[in-house]
Amino acid sequence: MNEFEWRRQLRALRQPQTPDRDLWPLIEAALDDAPVAHKTIAGAAARTRSSGRKRWLLRASLAASLVLACAVGWHMLPALTGKTSGVVASTTWKPADPRLAGAAIELDAARLELELAIQQAPDSAALQRLLHRTEQQQMQLRHLADRAS
Amino acid sequence: MPPVPTAAHDTDDVRAAAAGDRQAFQRLYALHSGRVYGALHRLAGYDHARAEDLTQEAFIRAWQKLPGFRHESAFGTWLYRLAVNVALMDLRARSADPVRMVNEEHLLESGETPFCAAEREELEQAIGQLPPRARAVLVLHDIEGWRHEDIGNELGMAVGTSKAQLHRARGLLRKALGERS
Repeated sequence: MNEFEWRRQLRALRQPQTPDRDLWPLIEAALDDAPVAHKTIAGAAARTRSSGRKRWLLRASLAASLVLACAVGWHMLPALTGKTSGVVASTTWKPADPRLAGAAIELDAARLELELAIQQAPDSAALQRLLHRTEQQQMQLRHLADRAS
Repeated sequence: MPPVPTAAHDTDDVRAAAAGDRQAFQRLYALHSGRVYGALHRLAGYDHARAEDLTQEAFIRAWQKLPGFRHESAFGTWLYRLAVNVALMDLRARSADPVRMVNEEHLLESGETPFCAAEREELEQAIGQLPPRARAVLVLHDIEGWRHEDIGNELGMAVGTSKAQLHRARGLLRKALGERS
């Protein structure tokens, strides 16, 4: 028998085979004792909630980072240009200066996003920290606006 | 490793079974048991009783692991791989008995019968008489179409060892069938 025929015969053995008896009753009986954690709709919902919280956390983190970058940029601008803005922020927190107004809008948006995220995940320490930091940034922005005025 | 052909419509049953639906799992059993049993029968050296035990064990493990099935491959491929792992674990457990190994190493010494045409039954009998590890390598490589890298990974041996085992298994098989390699 040549090599080709040898291989062909071996490959021909690769065929489905039927057991001599039906094994399903034995398998089914054993399933009762087999510990398993099946997927449930509640489990899927929990995973969806968890995924939603993660998305909110990510978006809130991005927004807070953007606001922080704006605030730092605005704060450093006088030092870079050598002059103050001279723009007065109003007490209603609607500053005329577009840089202040932009930072204020970003901070408001970040705070809103964080508050919504916290509604979904009230126990999230990370979200609470981000909210606290955003509030501090809003305070700093108000102080800057006050000083500028 | 060649993919295992499977029905495209078993996805619903896979999801249902993963959620605990036994009827769906029974349908999957009916669909795939032939292929699984066939592979395990070959790996078990054509020992029907052992192949049945391994098949039961494979489907029980599949039931347990199904919630973790990520649909990254066809269910049939996943199940086939799981079943082969069950057989190889059984093989490793049996190979841990050195007395059994020594006895099996000498099984073929008296098997040099004249042979002209390798009839299927005789071929299966000869494969069944191979030492377990050599048989596993021969079945996985020459029959199931696995690569040496995959065989080495599953059996915990180097690629070179897998090749050497295959060479040895082929030699023993030819010897058992009355041919000189």
